[in-house]
Amino acid sequence: MSSRETPHPRRGILRRRSSLRTREARTGYLFVLPQVVGLVAFIGVPLVASLGYSFTHWDLIAPAPEFVGFDNWAAMLQDPRVPAVLLNTGKFILLGTTSFLLFSLIAALITYTPRRFVGVYRAIIFLPYVLSQIAVGVVWRWMFNTESGPLTVVLEAVGIRSPDWLLDPATAMTSIAIMTTWQGIGYGLTLFVAGLSGVPEPLIEAARIDGANVVQRFFHIILPLISPTVFFLTVTSLIGALQLFDPVVAMTSSSAGVAGAGGPDNSTRTIVLYMYNQLFNLSEAKSGLGYAAALAWMLAFLTFLITAIQFAVGRRTIYYEAGQQSRGRSRRRARTENTHD
Amino acid sequence: MTDVSLRRRTVKPTRAAATLTYHGILIVLTALYIFPVVWAVSMSLRTNENMFHADQLIPHPITFEHYENLFGILPDFGRYVLNTLVIAVLGTVGTLASSSLAGYAMARFRFAGRNVLLLLLLLTLMVPAQATLIPQYVWFRDLGWLNTPLPIIIPLLFGSAFASFFFRQYFLTLPRELEAAASIDGAGPWRTFVQVIVPNAGPAYLALGLLTFVQLWNSFFVNSVYLTSQDSWVLTQALQSLVGRYNSQYGEIMAGVTLVSLPVIVAYLIFQRWIVRGIAMSGLAN
Repeated sequence: MSSRETPHPRRGILRRRSSLRTREARTGYLFVLPQVVGLVAFIGVPLVASLGYSFTHWDLIAPAPEFVGFDNWAAMLQDPRVPAVLLNTGKFILLGTTSFLLFSLIAALITYTPRRFVGVYRAIIFLPYVLSQIAVGVVWRWMFNTESGPLTVVLEAVGIRSPDWLLDPATAMTSIAIMTTWQGIGYGLTLFVAGLSGVPEPLIEAARIDGANVVQRFFHIILPLISPTVFFLTVTSLIGALQLFDPVVAMTSSSAGVAGAGGPDNSTRTIVLYMYNQLFNLSEAKSGLGYAAALAWMLAFLTFLITAIQFAVGRRTIYYEAGQQSRGRSRRRARTENTHD
Repeated sequence: MTDVSLRRRTVKPTRAAATLTYHGILIVLTALYIFPVVWAVSMSLRTNENMFHADQLIPHPITFEHYENLFGILPDFGRYVLNTLVIAVLGTVGTLASSSLAGYAMARFRFAGRNVLLLLLLLTLMVPAQATLIPQYVWFRDLGWLNTPLPIIIPLLFGSAFASFFFRQYFLTLPRELEAAASIDGAGPWRTFVQVIVPNAGPAYLALGLLTFVQLWNSFFVNSVYLTSQDSWVLTQALQSLVGRYNSQYGEIMAGVTLVSLPVIVAYLIFQRWIVRGIAMSGLAN
């Protein structure tokens, strides 16, 4: 670049460089145009409009929404269903997300060593992740069947009284969490294996020579080094867990379809399921588009709050410096910045 | 490794035993793990009399009557396949095109607002789809697009935040010499992108294309909002419709599960490496 520019007089370089730069910027804007339009039209504007709708009442039949001020928000605070769906979703997060992270990590620790066939084991464990949550939910609905489902049959064969799984309000959400954990482990495993492959082998070897046992090596060397992966998976799986919908529909819906999902006794009704039923006026006392919009905004706010808390905590606990990924990334960034001019 | 084990001959048998135990345990664990999938396929091929028999893992006799019945219950099954394919194919193509352009620009071009755009894209990963759904539902209803695939496809033609970020991370790893060589040949940015960058980014397109396709093929929530009339349904909706109404007809339900899952399983078996690599790359992206 510089060799081409040196023969020119100084002024010429500047003018030429700036025109090159505007041209580069113009091309840049053209390239990002579709994505920017998408961002504005399908996320930015709807997000604001959604907030607007939360101050209206509309049954989608009247020609236009009617402004009702804070009615929906006030109703939300008094609606006994709201704390119930929050609690159900919270229960799922507590059970489903924790077990997903834990079992994914265990599966990764078992299969990341370069032995023969570990690739085959990992491929089998990953398979459920590519299947539809509806299909998998339908299969697990059968697994949890209390009359002839495999889980019940096996438990009773070894003399354990099987719980009533999806039929008992106390265990229904746990059953759903078991299903989503089973489906998700392959995904978590893949990311943990990628993270573990960045842990330098000599470091673990050195610790072993210094007399650190397996547990010490895990908590003092491996875990800090893969903490960026733990953080990424925690943040993304919590965002997903807050939006739980498909598995609940597949596992608990009745002949009434989605309107009949969320049982038994509303124990698996989640925020999104409640919002969906409000939007389509499905057998709910308070309903309508405005109330659904208020619920959707509550979900967005909750997601933002939980993610912000995680970033605040993560900043203090994640170990980025020695991780090979982040080192590689900063080196790469330095290189791209150098080559810009 | 071999040197060490040859020198310490006494260790060898215990190590072999350990390896054997390891593989023994893992074979049992993975077999148990995949059991629900195998059992579901197996149930779809059993006669009704044998449906609940434990020794029917490999069904004998094998019957396809449940598949025939399924097409009787859902006579428009072919239509649902077509509806699903239209959404999955067009949605994938649109996402790849728009997001790779945006990702390339964010990786290579300097323009004011680039970092702001990147930050906004990352922030939108946090916005639940439900929070942007309601106004879009009203718009698409007013356009008369309900019960057509348009409300699902059109937004995807403008890319997705995740995909754009994914492509940016990938393009950052490509050497700049690619563009240098093209610019010596006098190629402009468009020609460089189409003729030099895209052919060199095959793995990224393949990995993200597969992920997007599978995700669209499997999706239910958004479809169930926009596609309520039965002839606009996608496969997941058709499958879901069986659950409440034909609860006791396990053969038919499992036949539905098998048919909906089969294309994805086949794609996974063929492209396993690429799908897994795509997932791993998406994790590193953050």
